[in-house]
Amino acid sequence: MAHTKSDSLNKKISQFFWRSWAIQDSWNYERQMNMGFLYGIVPTLDRCYPDESDPVQLERKKEAYRRHMAFYNCTPQTSAFVLGLAASMEEELAETSDAFDPGAVNAIKTSLMGPLSGIGDSFFQGTIRVIAFGLGVALAQQGSMMGPVLAMVISIIPSVLVTWFGAKLGYQGGREYLEKLQSGDLMDRVMYVCGIVGLMAIGGMVATLIGATTPLTFSEGSVVIQDILDTILPNMIPLALTGAMYALIKRNVGSGWLLVISIFGGIALSVLGILV
Amino acid sequence: MSMFVNALLVGLVSVFCILDSRLLGRLNFEQPLVGATLVGIVLGDPMTGLAVGAATEMVSMGLVQVGAAVPADMVLGGIIASAFACLTGATAETAMTIAVPVAVLGQLLGIVFRSVIAVLTHMADREIEAGNFRAAYRMHIVVGTILYSLMYFIPTFLAVYVGTDLVQSVVDLIPAWLSAGLGVSTKLLTAYGLALLISLSLKKGMAAFLILGFLLASYLGLSVIAVSALGVVLALVLMDLKFGKGGLALAAADPDYDPLEDDE
Repeated sequence: MAHTKSDSLNKKISQFFWRSWAIQDSWNYERQMNMGFLYGIVPTLDRCYPDESDPVQLERKKEAYRRHMAFYNCTPQTSAFVLGLAASMEEELAETSDAFDPGAVNAIKTSLMGPLSGIGDSFFQGTIRVIAFGLGVALAQQGSMMGPVLAMVISIIPSVLVTWFGAKLGYQGGREYLEKLQSGDLMDRVMYVCGIVGLMAIGGMVATLIGATTPLTFSEGSVVIQDILDTILPNMIPLALTGAMYALIKRNVGSGWLLVISIFGGIALSVLGILV
Repeated sequence: MSMFVNALLVGLVSVFCILDSRLLGRLNFEQPLVGATLVGIVLGDPMTGLAVGAATEMVSMGLVQVGAAVPADMVLGGIIASAFACLTGATAETAMTIAVPVAVLGQLLGIVFRSVIAVLTHMADREIEAGNFRAAYRMHIVVGTILYSLMYFIPTFLAVYVGTDLVQSVVDLIPAWLSAGLGVSTKLLTAYGLALLISLSLKKGMAAFLILGFLLASYLGLSVIAVSALGVVLALVLMDLKFGKGGLALAAADPDYDPLEDDE
């Protein structure tokens, strides 16, 4: 792959785009997405230092490669912004080697990782995925193949938009936008909106997706407990089950135990005739 | 179809699912609802795959991969459970209880694998020193892809190829009371998955929104998507109250935007 200085803007952005998505390809416990980030910035570095026969260029190229082998971890989609920003900084450095301390590239990467992972994970994993698959499961339970299809459509669209425009913003106006991001309350706003929408969706799912009821009756079947419960608050049993599980999680009961409790507890409650 | 071909097909689906998070930024093709359905399609029983996918997805929903934490691997669990259900005629409830132990084993495998794979980083360090730049980043995009694919392909292939007969004989022995019981277990697992999701997303002073979502769905019979849509509207209104006027779009687009400034 030859990367020339004349690569068009769109080509560069699409390189950031695809390579941000591939950032977890060698995820490891030691430096996590370090090589993923390097892979993302390789076209930029190769463009900046094309002549390996020149010992000065070669040394600077090695240094740049080494720089991007440092620890890195961030949501792939929001990572595109960091990648675009770092690439624009590398280009500046290649132009004038004393434009700023090269350590600043990694300092910015590191300072963005935390907030952009937080915002990225809560948006993609905590909100989009929950809504997409909450809806998908509801349709799938009715036997509709539209369930997984719709879940994927809802998942893909925001992912594409955030990655593409993130890369573009980062590369073109990176450091300018960075200051605005950090000074403003944009991050808090996004987190707040995601928090509310996510929680309301989860509340809806507790009511619609568990579907546990009790077959218990009194007075030889004339008093059906479930009917009484339904007149007070429908789906009271799913709510109680979720509440009980939540209490156990908060008491730090291990996930292995909770899986065991769920499986054997379910069998026991069924055999005792308490739940169906 | 011979079991060899079945195992091969399921193995390939598992490779597709792991590469979703490796090469496609986790677009969610890996989620059990999708993976298990794809298994159903390649094995010629899409409806069973869909049912297993829906059941497994409910537990998976709460298992979010945040940062370095590796949760129980429901991706692997969903795929193998779906294969067993399609090949042995087990119900979605029974398959779910296969998915859970498989997911826990997958989690252990994932932790060991992600520790070992750090070796690649050291190899890349050495290639850079030697000036072999292409070899360095190929550790990521070529070797990483191959190793992660094998980490999924080998266990799924073996489980289906070797394990299906065993699972078949166990499934044949399951009495009616036990399969009814497993049905309730699936509901408890769903409650557990949602509780996990709540424990991740619930922040101080936000519990009211969870309750509101529940009440809207329970009393008014609204669907999850309707509740979410109402949630977006409510959240945008409340955001303005909490952070001052000016929506998200404005804050992002206007470089000179100052939330404390008077709107005049």
